[in-house]
Amino acid sequence: MISVRVPKGFDLPVNGQPSLELEVLDPPVRVAALPERIPFVKPRLKVKIGDAVKIGSVLFEDKRNPEMVFLSPGGGEIEQINFGRRRVIREIVIRLDEEESHQSSDPLPEEALNTVPRDELIRRLMAGGMWPLIRELPFRDIANPGHRPPHLFVCLDSTEPFLPDPVIYLNGKTDLFGFGLKVLQRLAGDAVHICVSRERVDSLELPKSWVTHQYTGRYPAHDPGALLYRLKASAAENRSWFITGDNVLRIGEFCRTGVYPVSRTVVVSGSAAASRRHLVTRIGAPLVQLAGKPAGNGDTRHIAGGLFTGYITSADSYLGLFETALTLIPEGNEKESMALFKPGCGKPTFSRVFASRLTRKPLTCDGNQHGGLRACIACMHCADACPVDILPQLAYKAILAEEVEEYLEHGLLDCVECGLCSWVCPAKIDLAEALKAAKAAYFNEQAG
Amino acid sequence: MMNGLKKFFDSQQRHFVDGGKYERWYPLFEAIETVFFASDEVTRKWPHTRDSLDVKRYMAMVIFMLLPALFFGMYNVGYQSRLASGFTLDVLPCFWLGFKAVMPLVIVSYAFGFGWEIVFAVVRRHTISEGVFVSAMLFPLTLPPTTPLWQAALGISFGVVIGKEIFGGTGRNFLNPALTGRAFLYFAYPVQMSGDAVWTLLSGVGETAVDAVTSATPLVVAATAKTAGAVEETLASAGFTFSSLFLGRYPASIGASSTLLCLIGAVALIIIGVASYRIIIGDILGVLAMGFLLNLIANESSMPYLSLNPFYHLVMGGAAFGIAYMTTDPVSAPDLHEARWIYGFLIGALTVLIRVFNPAFPEGIMLAILFMNVFAPLLDHIVVRMKLKKRIPNV
Repeated sequence: MISVRVPKGFDLPVNGQPSLELEVLDPPVRVAALPERIPFVKPRLKVKIGDAVKIGSVLFEDKRNPEMVFLSPGGGEIEQINFGRRRVIREIVIRLDEEESHQSSDPLPEEALNTVPRDELIRRLMAGGMWPLIRELPFRDIANPGHRPPHLFVCLDSTEPFLPDPVIYLNGKTDLFGFGLKVLQRLAGDAVHICVSRERVDSLELPKSWVTHQYTGRYPAHDPGALLYRLKASAAENRSWFITGDNVLRIGEFCRTGVYPVSRTVVVSGSAAASRRHLVTRIGAPLVQLAGKPAGNGDTRHIAGGLFTGYITSADSYLGLFETALTLIPEGNEKESMALFKPGCGKPTFSRVFASRLTRKPLTCDGNQHGGLRACIACMHCADACPVDILPQLAYKAILAEEVEEYLEHGLLDCVECGLCSWVCPAKIDLAEALKAAKAAYFNEQAG
Repeated sequence: MMNGLKKFFDSQQRHFVDGGKYERWYPLFEAIETVFFASDEVTRKWPHTRDSLDVKRYMAMVIFMLLPALFFGMYNVGYQSRLASGFTLDVLPCFWLGFKAVMPLVIVSYAFGFGWEIVFAVVRRHTISEGVFVSAMLFPLTLPPTTPLWQAALGISFGVVIGKEIFGGTGRNFLNPALTGRAFLYFAYPVQMSGDAVWTLLSGVGETAVDAVTSATPLVVAATAKTAGAVEETLASAGFTFSSLFLGRYPASIGASSTLLCLIGAVALIIIGVASYRIIIGDILGVLAMGFLLNLIANESSMPYLSLNPFYHLVMGGAAFGIAYMTTDPVSAPDLHEARWIYGFLIGALTVLIRVFNPAFPEGIMLAILFMNVFAPLLDHIVVRMKLKKRIPNV
């Protein structure tokens, strides 16, 4: 087992941790697919309102590669297709039938797996809507089927508050997970790495010998980009692939049964969530069903995904293909009086300027920005936090100056999009957003 | 009280937001309101929560750590003045006399510093950055207590406008604004800024002769010592023992004399992570290294100043104050940690060099810092190049 230490980063002591109970939700009335939330994909709709779809019917394809299809997470009727600004496809909402029907393909039993050619396996995974679950660094686009990855990181757990715990979602599924791994090994051979934190490695049900990499470190030490940065010896390894543990289960299930798997374990957490727990629900489940009635009196912010990397959503939306968490925090749109003169107990911070740093007590985080935008004062907090040794403030200035060569040289593409640089900035500069946008712009330019 | 204040701000806000009567003055409104009430602005982009620290609290910490130096400075100004005049030396009368002398300088510094910041914020449509409050506190503490108010106004104006605002305001300046203003006064009005007489405030008719107040400062005493190897004795006979210099009760610029308070302030700022320990330790190492080097080359025929115990360089004059509060200004220092070590070390070494070898400038810390401010981007550039060379490319 290889140990990887990620020396930088930051563990935010945040309350609202989910319990390890697992509740199975009733089937929802509607589910949705959210093309907007799949990065870089240029969706072309294959359905229209009123169409009847089965579980596993094609909803849309990627214009960049029409073989890359995205399948329906439910069987029923297309009820709405919601567009956002510039006709971006937000949601494809499916009202579920009482008895949903499946679109199924041939299963791929274990014996056949060893003999099926790699190209044929890839073709099957793409046709089965499974391929988009494997993603490629550094841009985190869907993996390019033409590449052979130098590494394929299977990320079981997460240091981000809060994502599903592998102890929960792998419970009783060791066999299925093993089968999913075999599929991945057909794709990437020995390059498949199963990564888990040192604290969690003993509580897993998996045979310990399966775990190839155990990491230590603060958030975002779990991130495949952060691990790759510590492991890589040459530039040839930059285009590595990664997949999360729960998606390995889905690939295993798909190959075993030939049916598009729609069940998934998600986490509802955050200090504004009424009940914080693990849930078994459907892909594309409505958030209102997950969230329940938020606790507290003030406004609540709904974040799809973890506290750092999730995106703002609302209770009437749905959970996308890649999101496995719903985080609810207080909006924080209140003016706190005399905050400047208080010692600051209970204030989450990376610095040492608040009394809260004297303890490790979990604190409430809200959506307040805690200050106005200022010019960079070179406090170096962003560089001290960055897990991949980018100097975010200098990369940011290079981005503003449009010095492409310079910001690439600064390691822009190593950025793991953890958001810590923005989080720690006392001048409230949106560094992470600028870095991510510059990466995306570079990607689009490369793609032509 | 707080509720009333809140109502007042809430009711006035409409005049300052977009479309309001005083829309252009919004930076002023924001700067004042957020002293009492933290902003209710929420994040629009990921990550959805942010650090509780903002620039206002960051800068407020520096001001807070400067208050002991300010209060001691007030006491010391009064003490020296009453000592020269032969009055009793009780603490309260000394403090009151110093307070009356120093407070106007502080008020003028804030009025003009903040005034210029408002003007530029409104005209150039940026927010008021809290850096100016630190500069306006640092600046009067570096002045002799006899500084005329109009000179203080001119100095802080030069520091804030030329040292900072014309480059775009706090964060974009490459010189320390407070020191820029101080240097301007030093060169423009040498009579009021240097010599032996300016460091003690004359407070009216006393019993002793006035010429007692024109005693030389420790830096001048050390520079003019006659015997090699006995500079410390020369200082002691002039009344400047190591401990008296360390404690700081001698005629000097208002807030810069007490090494003890600067040490406490520096340690506190390092503990809360606002000042870079790399710069401070680099400074101290630079002073000591250069001091020891000069000791090594000192002999019977060389300048006696060369043989001064290097630790004296840390307690004399404004070195400690400059090290704790001026070199640690993150904006005019290099960004990178490695560059900050070099920056600090060179400031320390240059300070001693200027003091010992340049008869025109008894104090070297101010020019050393400004000189290295100019070199900070170069140090950054070198360190960034070295760091980037080590990265595995990813393009």
